[in-house]
Amino acid sequence: MTPLVPILVVPAAAGLLCLLLRSQRAMELANVLAFAVTLMLSVLLLPAVLQAPYVVTECNEFFRADALSVWMALLISAVSLGSSLYAGRYFQRDLAARAVTPGRVKEFYVLTPLFSAGMFLVVLANNLGVMWFALEATALSSVLLVAIYNRSTSLEAAWKYVILGSLGLALALFGTVFTYAAAIDQRSAAGLPSFNWSHLMSMAGQLDPRMIKLAFVFVLVGYGTKAGLAPMHNWLPDAHSEAPSPTSAMLSGVSLKVALYALVRFHILTTASLGSSFSQTLLLVFGLGSMCVAAPFILVQSNLKRLLAYSSLEHMGLICAGIGLNSPITIFGALLHMGYHALTKPVLFFAAGNIHQTCHTLQLRRIGPGMARVLPLTALCLGLAGAAAVGLPPFGLFFSEVTVLSGGFASGHTAATVLLLAAILASFCGILYQLTRILPGEPKVARSSDAAPLDGVPAMALMLGALLVFSVWLPAPLLEVMRQAARIIGGAP
Amino acid sequence: MKPPNPEFASQWITLLAAGMLVVQLLMVVQRMLLTNIRLFALQSLMLAGIAVIIAFSHASATHVYWVAGLTLVGKVFVLPWLLSRQVRRIQMEHEIAPLLNASASMLLCGAFTLLGYIVARPFTSLARLGNNTLGVAVTLLLTGFFLMVNRRKALTQVLALLTVENGVMLAAVALTTYGMPLVVELGIFFDLMVAVMVLGLLVYRIRETFSSMDVSKLSQLRG
Repeated sequence: MTPLVPILVVPAAAGLLCLLLRSQRAMELANVLAFAVTLMLSVLLLPAVLQAPYVVTECNEFFRADALSVWMALLISAVSLGSSLYAGRYFQRDLAARAVTPGRVKEFYVLTPLFSAGMFLVVLANNLGVMWFALEATALSSVLLVAIYNRSTSLEAAWKYVILGSLGLALALFGTVFTYAAAIDQRSAAGLPSFNWSHLMSMAGQLDPRMIKLAFVFVLVGYGTKAGLAPMHNWLPDAHSEAPSPTSAMLSGVSLKVALYALVRFHILTTASLGSSFSQTLLLVFGLGSMCVAAPFILVQSNLKRLLAYSSLEHMGLICAGIGLNSPITIFGALLHMGYHALTKPVLFFAAGNIHQTCHTLQLRRIGPGMARVLPLTALCLGLAGAAAVGLPPFGLFFSEVTVLSGGFASGHTAATVLLLAAILASFCGILYQLTRILPGEPKVARSSDAAPLDGVPAMALMLGALLVFSVWLPAPLLEVMRQAARIIGGAP
Repeated sequence: MKPPNPEFASQWITLLAAGMLVVQLLMVVQRMLLTNIRLFALQSLMLAGIAVIIAFSHASATHVYWVAGLTLVGKVFVLPWLLSRQVRRIQMEHEIAPLLNASASMLLCGAFTLLGYIVARPFTSLARLGNNTLGVAVTLLLTGFFLMVNRRKALTQVLALLTVENGVMLAAVALTTYGMPLVVELGIFFDLMVAVMVLGLLVYRIRETFSSMDVSKLSQLRG
């Protein structure tokens, strides 16, 4: 048996198991173990997709994994594992401060694995309809995670998230229906034998071109909302800033990318069907738009977690633009960027969580200077991850950004690439400026130094360590899986 | 039973789709929450009717009976019952004044209908059964969005979302002639049920915290 089914079953089972468990430690352990297992299984999938026939299928092609799916599965497992490692101490402190009730913590441990299982189903499902309802399932499970604190602001964020997310997904469903209609138009007598992505790809030339265009526009707006692309991004900073930090990390680290993955599947199909640059141009425009919208909000931001959320918007824009530029180099750069961003952003959110619990505010002005004195280890991690996020070497995001930019120039999209560069520079200045407001200097307010300075540091150190290692040394199978995935997005069979 | 002739089925489908549109417009101007919920149930009943006609007139589309059955049970009975129970429990039967008044809303929805038909026109052919309902489906989508923006009660927004979902299902059963594969239909239906439960839970928590269902009070997060 291939690892496809276990990858889905293990987290779902862990989530249901947590319903029965009572102690918080046991639930934490179940989560960590489940994600460690999925990470292992995803790694096991690596060699399988790197040799002919380059795909793994299960249950009569109902589940299908190619290099792109496996790359996403690796990211989901890594970020979920990091979050579950961090979550234990985080919620213990919240419980001690009475910020959250034990029932809600249990809700977290039940819903988080289900959220991950939904994301795994998105990337492993072959059927486009199944992909849609898996995405809806991730949206619904994460909404309750966003609302966990039950503050007025977190309920507002959750409401915005669920309403905008559901509307977006309704549009995406419209697009999915149109795709189906495009495929059956030619065969008026019978229904489609299957609604599998691989089947549609094999008949891409026969799809109704007008219908597929309309479908892509609907899917772009729909899944684009879930991926947080501007101008449908309004829910993103709210949900990311109000959710508990482990959930923010998962939303920012992978959930956005999983929605983009769904969009990219339709992009591949549309390009194969039309043979034109219709969908890649739209992706480029939305990617650039997101970066340009994010930059000013980063420069004037007053809330630490909203700052990080807007930085995610900027990074998603870069990934989307990299795919939209559609040269082999930029697509490779975009995939690389996905990976490095998935390792960086959770560290930032974990550090923000520690600061929030110590200072009881996320307002940068009220956190004030001198965090390096109050929380030395957290501040160190925040500084390092911040340097990584703005794209300073030796961290990997520098290399992936340079790859996208150089690929953009090489493929002749000079104007678009210059705009990309400008947006990157603006957010570079913005994030560095905002971090210098809180990290160095003398604390203005006397804060009780942290009782347990090591809280959350193992998870942060682990992810930062992985980021550093993979920045300087990419193992051959990982490199090959990204190359393979880039070929799939670029339209190779 | 022998299938009815296609002409007959096509006319019934068009009639029911037009009925769905009329009900949608009534919802736009209706301010009583309970009446709105009943109108939604009526609209879903018409959708179920369309599904039955399609399943009946195509030998190869028997799984569309499932769609009809699920729509009937879920959207005509269970969801309206859940929603009206919630309305009764919180004893708030009126919608507060919408942003646009009734006549302006009606005019705007007329424009949406026109737009829906313009978008759908290139894809409409009279040759295929139910294909001409695409215009209605797109219009349901647009007016559903408008309903959501125009109303401020959380519960009405849920209802608006459900009418958008009805539009998608209309497109799915009508446009593709045979409906989507059964696994997809089941998934959509299941998701819808969970979505309404999650939304209901949030409405309840919002009401507890804000002691109101007015979503225009949800405006603390900016920038």
